[in-house]
Amino acid sequence: MNNLKIFLCDNSIDGIFTAIYQAWSSGYGHSNIKIEEQCEKNSYSNIELFSEYIIVETNFDQAVKVSNSIKTKISLEAYEMTCRVALSDYQGKGDLIYRFLILGFHIGKNIVSHLSNEVVNRVFKLNRYVSGEAHHLLGFIRFSEQENKILTSIIHPKNNVLSLVTPHFADRLPNERFVIFDGNRNVCSLHLPEKSWIIIEIPSMNLNDYDILIDDEYESLWKTFFDNIAIKERINPKLQRNNLPIRFRKDMTEFIPERINSLI
Amino acid sequence: MVIQEGMSIQRKLEILSDAAKFDVACTSSGVDRKGNGSGIGNSLACGICHTFSADGRCISLLKILFTNECIFDCKYCINRSSNDVVRASFTPREVCELTMEFYRRNYIEGLFLSSGIMVSPNHTMELIFDALRMLRDEYHFNGYIHCKAIPGTDPVLVEAIGWYTDRMSVNLELPTASSLKRLAPHKSRKNILKPMRQIQLRRESNNEYLGIYDGRRHVSNQITMTNDKSSEITNDNRNSDRDLLLRVNNTTNIVPYNKAPIGKSRYVPAGQSTQMIIGATDESDYHIMSVSETLYDNFDLKRVFYSAFVNVNDDSNLPSTVSGPPLLREHRLYQADWLLRFYGFKIAELLNEKNPNFNVLLDPKCDWALRHLDEFPVEVNKADYYTLLRVPGIGVNSARRITTARKSAILDFKDLKAMGIVLKRAVYFITCNGRMMYPIKLDEDFITRELLAVKDRLPFGIEKDITYKQLSLFDDVSFQPDDRLMLQEISHA
Ligand code: SF4
Repeated sequence: MNNLKIFLCDNSIDGIFTAIYQAWSSGYGHSNIKIEEQCEKNSYSNIELFSEYIIVETNFDQAVKVSNSIKTKISLEAYEMTCRVALSDYQGKGDLIYRFLILGFHIGKNIVSHLSNEVVNRVFKLNRYVSGEAHHLLGFIRFSEQENKILTSIIHPKNNVLSLVTPHFADRLPNERFVIFDGNRNVCSLHLPEKSWIIIEIPSMNLNDYDILIDDEYESLWKTFFDNIAIKERINPKLQRNNLPIRFRKDMTEFIPERINSLI
Repeated sequence: MVIQEGMSIQRKLEILSDAAKFDVACTSSGVDRKGNGSGIGNSLACGICHTFSADGRCISLLKILFTNECIFDCKYCINRSSNDVVRASFTPREVCELTMEFYRRNYIEGLFLSSGIMVSPNHTMELIFDALRMLRDEYHFNGYIHCKAIPGTDPVLVEAIGWYTDRMSVNLELPTASSLKRLAPHKSRKNILKPMRQIQLRRESNNEYLGIYDGRRHVSNQITMTNDKSSEITNDNRNSDRDLLLRVNNTTNIVPYNKAPIGKSRYVPAGQSTQMIIGATDESDYHIMSVSETLYDNFDLKRVFYSAFVNVNDDSNLPSTVSGPPLLREHRLYQADWLLRFYGFKIAELLNEKNPNFNVLLDPKCDWALRHLDEFPVEVNKADYYTLLRVPGIGVNSARRITTARKSAILDFKDLKAMGIVLKRAVYFITCNGRMMYPIKLDEDFITRELLAVKDRLPFGIEKDITYKQLSLFDDVSFQPDDRLMLQEISHA
């Protein structure tokens, strides 16, 4: 018990993979190891006494080694599942991935069918959760056109889904310049014509400043359409709420009251 | 007819989206198409919901009429020629601009263009064709397009338009030819089925040419039971249809704007759908579903939609809907439709002449199971996929999970629970390792009472109120995200 070694790593795929690499090669034995990703919720607040903390510096070479072994020794599917778990907001995902991989390296590609196993089941559920939110956002993301024709969007997802949704838009809008901000994480993805998209951290920008620049006539046309397409005899706010949770609406044009038009 | 000159685009959109709202099919599913790297747009077979309107229905397409200046006089329609309503028409360019700008902002997956009949079916369809051609060729729009085919349109136009769309639909409107005649005097069953057959055959030959196997529903090679209810539809002759198609193909070359099927072009790749109005006329559920079954089996339709009648014209010759449209009935029809398409049921198993309407209290599958208790319980570790699907409470999603999980373990009730399978209903119909969860005897009255106690998962507000939404195919319950197959489908239980 009091011999627990806690590998404390960055809250990122590479961070978690690095920790797994180091934990694995440490020789402490799986049952004496815990992987803990750093996030606001757990930083220093619940340090466990009698445990030894090992701070893991993210190391890309080591991370790549782990991803390669997952791909070759388990399967591509398992690799993708692992990545989605790493993007989730689930506290303890680092350790979950570690447990999943221990099983995976043992069982091989069939690991994904072991749904009655608790670890696999949790991984499976988190996958649905993360993919589900990403899929929602493929539809719910709204771009506003800025004066310079740049399309901008702000989202507040629970999970870190930018890297899951951006490829869809890069494929769909190859000639557009667009930016998607993740207002919860202060990162954004950026796409320019004929370039591959990138993700950038933007530590100190007040995203809300962007609202006031918008003066886009299509926003009111869209609202007109949205209001008129509903069948009055069937109005059903509960069903609407069930299908489109309130939390998405603050970033969706049709639910935002008329914007304050530009200051210019 | 009230036609205003110089109407703003805002006002036109207001009128022509309002006029289009009763068209149900707002799905963008059925075709996977990557962006082409230069134009704009792609398409996902699973479909994407962009928002949900106040009635709770999914919005994924810009659903508008091209015009509501209609020369027909269908009794159930707000745009009928005898009504005194404001009329408006888009220009092809306006349709393109709206589609493009909405699409860039990610409001929509594409366009669903329907229309009233201005001057003549051909005149209207020519304008629609102009719009679509402009959208694809000039604006390089590569997103989803669903286009209505107006009954009575020249087959040459139907042929030409099909190359520019992903889905086409001709609305059946009413289940029988006689009802149609009564309520839509300018339409005829023949004029509706003709383009439907033409599109079907054209798709078949196009798929054959491209070597595409277009996965039909799972239907095995069972011979379709043709019952008298659907004979009205099946009686037409496929050979004469093929002749028609040949004639069309020979004539299209002389149509100047025809885009020849070049290279890998696909004709209506997402297939056809249609729609019936429910409750305006007195056909039974059995009658309606028999028609649907025939359309699926013999016309290769992808979807049949059901639209609860709303008496928008307060027409005293039609049923009143002041106390609300028949939403529960519509819901039951969708559930049954689901059973036909994904669960391997035949309509004759669910209803018959003596028992022609669905149970109001129980969903069609529970109702069926109660009448077939001799086929239960089934063993979860052995029963094949389609047998599992027949268990109340087990849907496509659960059945797949069970067949996957049992490869690596012998499943017990607690495993099923852990896998997120809802046992409330299923528990009366299954065994794990030969044991039922509780020692229950299969007594119809008892189980009926228990099942009725489990709340029917009616969509919110149907007490009767229901609607459609994108729903994961894997899910028997309600919406749960699943990246693999987010089918745009209607809610079912
Ligand atoms: S053809 Fe009939 S249903 Fe269509 S717009 Fe005209 S009146 Fe309405």
